[in-house]
Amino acid sequence: MAAAPQAADGAALRSLAWACAAFAGGVLLNLDRVPPWTAATALLLIAWRLTTERSGARLPGTPARALLALGVVAVVLWRFHTLNGLAAGTALLVLMSALKLLETRARRDQFVMVGAGLFLLLAACLDRQSLVRVPLYALQAWLCCSALAVVASAGCEGRAALRLAGRALLLALPLAVLLFLFFPRLSGAFWAIPRGGEALTGLSDTMSPGGIVKLVASYDPAFRVQFAGRAPPAEELYWRGPVLHDFDGHTWRRASGAFHLRQRLQYLGTPYRYRVALEPTRQRWWFALDTPAQSSDANVLLTYDNQLLGAEPLTEPLSFDALSYTRTRALEPLGAFGRQQDTTPPPGNPRSVALAQTLRQRAGSDADFVQATLEYLRSGGFVYTLTPEALGADAVDDFLFDTRAGFCGHYASAFVTLMRAAQVPARVVTGYLGGEWNPIGDYFLVRQSDAHAWAEVWLEGRGWTRIDPTAVVAPERLRRGVFDLLPDALATRERLLRSSAWLTRALQRWDAANAWWSDHVVKFDYSAQLDLLGRFGIRYPDARYLGWAFMLALLGWLAIIAWHIGRSARPAAPDALARAYTRLCHKLARIGPPRAPHQGPLSFAEAVTTHRPDLGGSVHALLARYAQLRYGPGAPGTRAQDIEGFRRAVARLSLSRAAGGRH
Amino acid sequence: MRRRQGADVLPVTLGRRRLYILPTGAGVAFGLLLFLMLIAGLNYGNSLALFLTFSLSAFALVAMQQCHRNLLGIAVIAAAAPAVFARTTGAVHLTLANPASLPRARVEAAVAEMAAVAVDLAARERQRLELPLPAPTRGIVRIDRLRLATAHPFGLFRAWTWVHTPIEMMIYPRPHGVLPMPAHGGHKSGARSRGGSDADEWLGLRPFRDGDSPRQVDWKAYAREAPMLIKEYSPAGSELRLFDFAQLTHLDTEARLSQLARWVVEAEAHGERYGVALPGVLLPADRGPEHRHRCLAALAVFGIDDGLKHGGGAPGR
Repeated sequence: MAAAPQAADGAALRSLAWACAAFAGGVLLNLDRVPPWTAATALLLIAWRLTTERSGARLPGTPARALLALGVVAVVLWRFHTLNGLAAGTALLVLMSALKLLETRARRDQFVMVGAGLFLLLAACLDRQSLVRVPLYALQAWLCCSALAVVASAGCEGRAALRLAGRALLLALPLAVLLFLFFPRLSGAFWAIPRGGEALTGLSDTMSPGGIVKLVASYDPAFRVQFAGRAPPAEELYWRGPVLHDFDGHTWRRASGAFHLRQRLQYLGTPYRYRVALEPTRQRWWFALDTPAQSSDANVLLTYDNQLLGAEPLTEPLSFDALSYTRTRALEPLGAFGRQQDTTPPPGNPRSVALAQTLRQRAGSDADFVQATLEYLRSGGFVYTLTPEALGADAVDDFLFDTRAGFCGHYASAFVTLMRAAQVPARVVTGYLGGEWNPIGDYFLVRQSDAHAWAEVWLEGRGWTRIDPTAVVAPERLRRGVFDLLPDALATRERLLRSSAWLTRALQRWDAANAWWSDHVVKFDYSAQLDLLGRFGIRYPDARYLGWAFMLALLGWLAIIAWHIGRSARPAAPDALARAYTRLCHKLARIGPPRAPHQGPLSFAEAVTTHRPDLGGSVHALLARYAQLRYGPGAPGTRAQDIEGFRRAVARLSLSRAAGGRH
Repeated sequence: MRRRQGADVLPVTLGRRRLYILPTGAGVAFGLLLFLMLIAGLNYGNSLALFLTFSLSAFALVAMQQCHRNLLGIAVIAAAAPAVFARTTGAVHLTLANPASLPRARVEAAVAEMAAVAVDLAARERQRLELPLPAPTRGIVRIDRLRLATAHPFGLFRAWTWVHTPIEMMIYPRPHGVLPMPAHGGHKSGARSRGGSDADEWLGLRPFRDGDSPRQVDWKAYAREAPMLIKEYSPAGSELRLFDFAQLTHLDTEARLSQLARWVVEAEAHGERYGVALPGVLLPADRGPEHRHRCLAALAVFGIDDGLKHGGGAPGR
């Protein structure tokens, strides 16, 4: 008896520990999303709660808990200025659930903790959907379900709970996939939710020298492109991002509030059809190859400077089809406003202005002037480096005449400044250059490290023409990508990754898996669902038919599960011995009282003997033989024969009713 | 429910038609959680959140199946409540069997609304449970039904069934009292007429009752077409006493019954022969467990209308 309370305590501690583990797992999944103090508070409270459970210290009373709860709401309001939104909501959930720990006494409270763990898992799913996190999410779901099992029956061992939950989740998987594919999605949203404003790695709508270096050091994917036909040659893979017009001497910016009509263009050369899968950028522009011919979506604007501009910042991965040309000719002249906007030189930089004017005077045309400028850059002792010296107030002058070392941002900026100084319209285009061909997924992977800046110059008779001054200075940048040019400190990991063909191959496989995941799972939405239904021949899905199909699928799955689970719940078929015994009992029941359920063979033998003493010997012997076969230590070698003998003896037994008349 | 399935004759195998299943409070909360997850997933158009929601929904359905299956096919072999003395705790002895190869976990058995006792049944295992049943006062407690339930494995659903098998628990009066046993030989049993030659004293013949050994049957008499009789002997030197209700004049009824119960218990423990006389009831001198039960039962139901108390709760008078 003395051990009983102790065992109960052990079970209570185990169930509390599992509930805490489910909650802690949820907190850990959101570790990089909630502020560190939130997660630290929660984890400390978990540790504290577990130690009090062991030591049996008292938990705080209701007034203290209420005060703490109010305090938590106040702190979250103070730090986030809102309770709405994913970040603030998650932080609040973490803190409130942690406070709930202070009153987890009953099983119900522990269920609440497990529920919090599941809710935090949901928050993590809403926040990040990358493939690499999926195993973590699966583990957390498994942990929570196991915790349910432990909390539900305190006697449940952890390992048994893990087995139970794992089995149930595996059985649930087929239905989950069915539901995922066919459960009707929304084409819009019930309500708009403010998303976290954390900046992601990627191009921004300004460019200052140095800005791009941060990107170059990032190995994250920016987008993936799959061409429908032939891919353009590598030197044509200019992916257009923000086009920058305004330059204050240090920073390039997009034109402020200017709206122009797009010029009519004549498209030359090969049309390229392709599909871009964008990673979320929290910015509005969609990246496309050089000059897109049309907007792919009603919500996306094709601007006068050939950017694709979405209506909303990109918070989820997205794919779109596009058609682009790499060579175009303008059919209209440049408008006065556009010319004025793109010929405004930056203030200062007198030496650059003088240089540009000299070069322009020597050249016969704008095109010649462009060539002369490029020649100047090629032969002027310029060096491509990702670690240039800092520039002074007249940044372009300093770069062109003093440091003569820089990277794409510097060259594009200086080139455009020179053009403008000579009244040639020019603008800076930022985006990406090149991309890694992934033979497994048949696509180009464009990484943040492929970020690039180049120039566009207006040439009479041709229109906007792409000029890449960096290509003149560092032609290898185009061929080999940027990594070989990176300083060692920035590129150790990448060099290592690229050092072996096997590793490169493995990385490509991993990226192809990511691309598949992003394309087929993350981006599976209302329209993808319609596509899928269309593939099954349902062109105009009717909610009613879908509902019926869904119900049928659900019932089918339930039937299979019920069969699978119920199979082992059925009693085993009786063996030969049991069948023979049943037959014997039936025979004996015909001549006297039947065997009562509680009667064993020997007591039944006595009852039969009492009732029919004339049968005493044979029946008693037979029933004793059964008892010996069933319960006695049988000889394994002859057991089958013995059972067969017993069966024969039962079959031979014939009982006359006649003697039963005497009682 | 009883009207629907009728009274049960043990052994009973729990079939589909008698199992009920509903979500527990935790199950309802879990459903609410799933609904919120669904709304959030749909609103954000977030595939992973939706997949999580669907996985957990399917998980809940699997849990429902597993819960139902945990009870399905269990056999209730026997249920009985041995007699106990008042002011002790009795028990319903319930024998459950798992005839299947599937182990059952946390099957809870309970008398009506009282606290449940949980049991794990391995494959093809049979176990006897004791469901405590308080016995505060003498009489008979009748239980109409037993409840078998389970929330295994995840506590989201609860499956249960009622087994409608009447069980009676006899509650003897509490053996209590300080009076010495009355002297020997107040009345003698009529059967004691003939001296035996061996150490055991020949007591006589009595009709055959279930449970008697065939060796004690008087086969010679039976051969003479007499009814089946049992030869009775008593150990040498055994005594004979009669405990009379009417002689305890200075006590109230309950005290008298308690005193009589105590004498019966002591006399039986000493191997003596004893009888009990109550107003309107005379139990002639005898001994043995069965006689003891008859005497104590007579004391238990004395003065109670039909001796029955219904329900599983604390029997009151």
